[in-house]
Amino acid sequence: MKIQTKKQIKLALHYVRGHLLQYMLGILALLIVDALNTRIPRLTGSLTDTLAGGLSGGNLTMADVWPVCMQILFSGVMITLGRFGWRYFIFGAARSIEKEMRNDLFGHLEKLSMRYFHANKTGDLMAHFTNDLQSVRQMLGMTVITTFDASVMLVMVVYSMLRYVNVHLTLIAIVPMILIVFGDIFFGKVMHRRFRERQEAFSELTDMVQESVSGIRVIKAYVQEHLEMAAFARQNENTREKNLNVVRLFALVMPLLDMIIGISLVITLIYGGYLTIQEQMTLGQFVAFNSYVTMLVWPMIAVGECISSLSQGMASLGRVFRIFKEKPDIKEAEDARRDITAIQGGITLDHLSFTYPEGEKPVLSDISVEVKPGEILAVVGRTGSGKSTLVHLLEREYDPQDPASIRIDGIPVSKLPLSVLHEGIACVPQDSYLFSDTIEENIAFGMPEKDGEAIREAAKAACIHDSIEAFPEGYGTLVGERGVTLSGGQKQRVAIARALVRRAPVLILDDALSAVDTDTEEQILQNLKEVCRGQTQVIIAHRISTIQHADHILVLEGGRAAEYGTHAELMEKHGVYRHMYDMQQLEKQLMHGGSGEA
Amino acid sequence: MKKQTEDIAYEGNAFLRLISYMKPYRGMFALCLVLVLGGTAMEILRPVIIGNAIDRYITGEEALSLTRDARFQGILIAGGLYVLLLLARFLLNRFQYLLMQKTGQNIVYDLRGDLYRHVLSLTMRFFDVTPVGKIVTRITNDVESINEVYSNVLVKLFQNGVKILTLGSIMIALDVRMALYSFLLVPVVVVLTVVFRKLSRAAFQLTRTRVTALNTFLSEHLSGMDLIQMFGREEQKHKAFCQKSEELYEANSREILINALFRPSTYLTYVIALVLLLLVGSSQVIRGSVTMGTLYIFIQYIESFFNPIQEMAEQFSTLQSALASAEKIFTLLDTRPDIPEENNPRILDKVQGRIEFDHVWFAYKDEDWVLRDVSFTIEPGERVAFVGATGAGKSSILNLMGRYYDVQRGSIRIDGVDIRQLSREQIRRAIGQVQQDVFIFTGDIAGNIRLLREDITDEMIRKSAHDVNADRFIERLPNGFSQHVTERGSTFSSGERQLLSFARTLAYDPRILILDEATAHIDTETERWIQEAVERLMQGRTCIMVAHRLSTIQHCDRILVMHHGKIRESGTHQELLALHGIYWKLYELQLLSRGAG
Repeated sequence: MKIQTKKQIKLALHYVRGHLLQYMLGILALLIVDALNTRIPRLTGSLTDTLAGGLSGGNLTMADVWPVCMQILFSGVMITLGRFGWRYFIFGAARSIEKEMRNDLFGHLEKLSMRYFHANKTGDLMAHFTNDLQSVRQMLGMTVITTFDASVMLVMVVYSMLRYVNVHLTLIAIVPMILIVFGDIFFGKVMHRRFRERQEAFSELTDMVQESVSGIRVIKAYVQEHLEMAAFARQNENTREKNLNVVRLFALVMPLLDMIIGISLVITLIYGGYLTIQEQMTLGQFVAFNSYVTMLVWPMIAVGECISSLSQGMASLGRVFRIFKEKPDIKEAEDARRDITAIQGGITLDHLSFTYPEGEKPVLSDISVEVKPGEILAVVGRTGSGKSTLVHLLEREYDPQDPASIRIDGIPVSKLPLSVLHEGIACVPQDSYLFSDTIEENIAFGMPEKDGEAIREAAKAACIHDSIEAFPEGYGTLVGERGVTLSGGQKQRVAIARALVRRAPVLILDDALSAVDTDTEEQILQNLKEVCRGQTQVIIAHRISTIQHADHILVLEGGRAAEYGTHAELMEKHGVYRHMYDMQQLEKQLMHGGSGEA
Repeated sequence: MKKQTEDIAYEGNAFLRLISYMKPYRGMFALCLVLVLGGTAMEILRPVIIGNAIDRYITGEEALSLTRDARFQGILIAGGLYVLLLLARFLLNRFQYLLMQKTGQNIVYDLRGDLYRHVLSLTMRFFDVTPVGKIVTRITNDVESINEVYSNVLVKLFQNGVKILTLGSIMIALDVRMALYSFLLVPVVVVLTVVFRKLSRAAFQLTRTRVTALNTFLSEHLSGMDLIQMFGREEQKHKAFCQKSEELYEANSREILINALFRPSTYLTYVIALVLLLLVGSSQVIRGSVTMGTLYIFIQYIESFFNPIQEMAEQFSTLQSALASAEKIFTLLDTRPDIPEENNPRILDKVQGRIEFDHVWFAYKDEDWVLRDVSFTIEPGERVAFVGATGAGKSSILNLMGRYYDVQRGSIRIDGVDIRQLSREQIRRAIGQVQQDVFIFTGDIAGNIRLLREDITDEMIRKSAHDVNADRFIERLPNGFSQHVTERGSTFSSGERQLLSFARTLAYDPRILILDEATAHIDTETERWIQEAVERLMQGRTCIMVAHRLSTIQHCDRILVMHHGKIRESGTHQELLALHGIYWKLYELQLLSRGAG
């Protein structure tokens, strides 16, 4: 725990170090502001004295007033500059640090393996980038300022009170102010709790509405509208109540604060007035003291704020720190075959079995396949039969329990340099995920250098070229939320083009034609024969039509190889494969022959 | 395609309509304003007391003419007065603040209730095209931002307006010349504030856009991390991220710069005003036309005079964004349900369960007919199944019976009465609908069967669950019927969800049963339970089902085969098989897929 905190602080300091100059300038500006701030009341005070002295005899002219006023003006200008300075330097530094942490965090996440991303939802990771970095920034910005400012102000104001005004008056007038610190700490806790309760009530309300609107069909079907309304009213009432709880506290705290300041001022008036009448104090000192009292309010409040902001910042820093501590569990082996710069594309599965790290049952068991470079391996089977796992293993998103059971060109996948492996395999994943970028950029995703000609060739082979050209912006069309919405089939074809453009020795299609209509599918397969000559292909599919020309067909059932052979061989067997084939034929008939209408 | 009514700008005056919500609370509100006046007066009085005390008892001719004791006494009286004022102010502020906030909260409570009631009254067509998130935002965040108007902005605007006017008047009354000098810099503050508002708003918006851009990039690339790694794009993507990050940083820096310039510069204006006042004031004091006390009051007032001006600018901008929310809320409130409710619905004493479709044409959108001229009659107690490929129009028939949508042509009758003449409540009480996908509400299992009807006892829940075999899986749960479940968090299989839905339907004991069978794969054991359950559910009810399972279909009195929005074949299982048509093919397909399982 202690060591953890120490390490966290070390992490923060590592970033702060790069901005030491900014911090120093900022703090210097802050000190100037604070020093001058206490000067202005003193100046107005001395002006008052000058005036009062002039009134009670002596011949006063404006020449006596001018210098003081100019000093006030000068101080005011300096304060203005100082205030600008500290905001600019310290907030700027905090923002820079936030940016640097953000960049490093993303870079670090890129190194982590898929297992981490499966275990941590995107939304949670996002929260680290937004909420946590924000409170770290606040800690390194606002809190730094508040701490310095409040303590310096406190010392200076009290010093000025003691030094320039009156010791007794100071001691008496300050007593109520101390109450603010205690009140702050006490009410701060209560306030925090009530705020949290209010927030929770609001989330509950949001959740309820969210759920009811999602389940509106049930509400209507079971005529629950009136009852639902009553339930909502309760939640609504709860929100109001929790809001009022906060309000009630505010209604106490704010006037109370006002009251405390007022009491200090009354003490100043009575005791200070007395001292003035007794001529132990000048009128100017009396006026200045009034200002000092109000100046004390802020440092008193700040103490509580610093404490809570600091604890929040440290908690966030801790969460960020934990990510930085995370180590990738798939990395290049120490004894990786660095002599290998490219793969040929031979794939061997040698009694391959695999269980997910968090799983219990094996997802794949005892699978053996031998694919020579340039051959086509097809894998069919139901959802959950382990087809995609095979792809994950080839891509080395996970390592099998026996690393030697999956080999490329005879070398265990885990022994290949990661970059060689990733460059050697072009994959079309199942979800055909595209980025919100132009179509061209999406296809060029894996290209070291963008080549318009190659992109168009790949798009043609994937049968998406014509659709792209049909968009007003052509290849420059944005996809995703801000651009056009592509259909599932179009997305898959763009994803295919993205893989084809890489011309890798191994091409994997993970159920990549499921949303493409049959005719287009046939066309794409035809094109692949041409374009991918010599490339090893691994095709995972549901439709038999997609894979019947493959050199090897592996039928998976519950992670086991149920059947294995060529299309002709498997048809002969009259097993699972044949059954799938017959069903798909019948479905086809039904779709085409069911009706005479369009 | 999904053009939402909400995107259309609100036509009326949102501000006046907001004000109209205050009507029931106008008494309280008026009281608030009076209290604000009182509070402001006291705030203004405060420096006067001290200023007075200085003039009369501490310094000045009048004071010097008194004995020390008399002077001190005077100060004590002034102090006492000040304490009284403090107490009064404490009570007044507290009371006024509470009253104002309560009023605001009450209005928000009313508005939120109205809005939710209205949303519940809207029809499925509305929910089909409006994203859930949008509706939720209206009811939660948008209403919340309006709260600010009632509980803060209106009163504060009033308060600050009063403050400025009173302070201004007092200053003029005290000394015209000094007052005028004090006002000299007011235009500067106003201009500064307005310009800053504009700049900072623009900067803020730029930051927002960049934050969104960065977050979109982030969420997209975290989701697509597998691709980045597979394609070896780590370095490029990191560069792209840093670029976005840098852009955000630049926007942030701009915001910092603007803020860093503004706040100190208003301070500078204040200092200049102060110096000006001191110079003018001093010369007046020297000439004897102004007392020291007056100068003190002016020094105190000048700061309190500048603050409200800046605050008002802030309050106007809050009002602006609240009005934007108000417009969205009112637009939603003005959305009329597209299925009118009959004002004087006919009442069926006892629903028999006879259903007629009479030349029904129906489309979800324009002329995309989903049902074309569909006619059939189902007698009370009859069991009828609809079969057909996806998109043939089966589910639409079920939707129309519950009057979730209205037909474009033709009519639908229950027991001979057009359903448009019945209240929706009556129709839906008569019909029990088992949906394909069962929505699970947060709560426990019992709550999911009973829904919100408290009159359904635990006993009835247990019995319903037992009758449809749902208790078999419920009892396996660690907490049985009180097991906590959520929509996203529950791990029920689709078969279990179906059973739960059966129990829900049975508990409500409808005359007509509509069953939309789940297509998902269900394990054999659950499958057997479901079959038994369906049989029990159907007992003594008119049953209409969209069925996928052979067993359910075969036991039906009649099977209607849908194809492209029309009824193409009709008859019993045996009759239809003999036809060798669509039904026969569907049947063969099912047999095959059975074999595979």
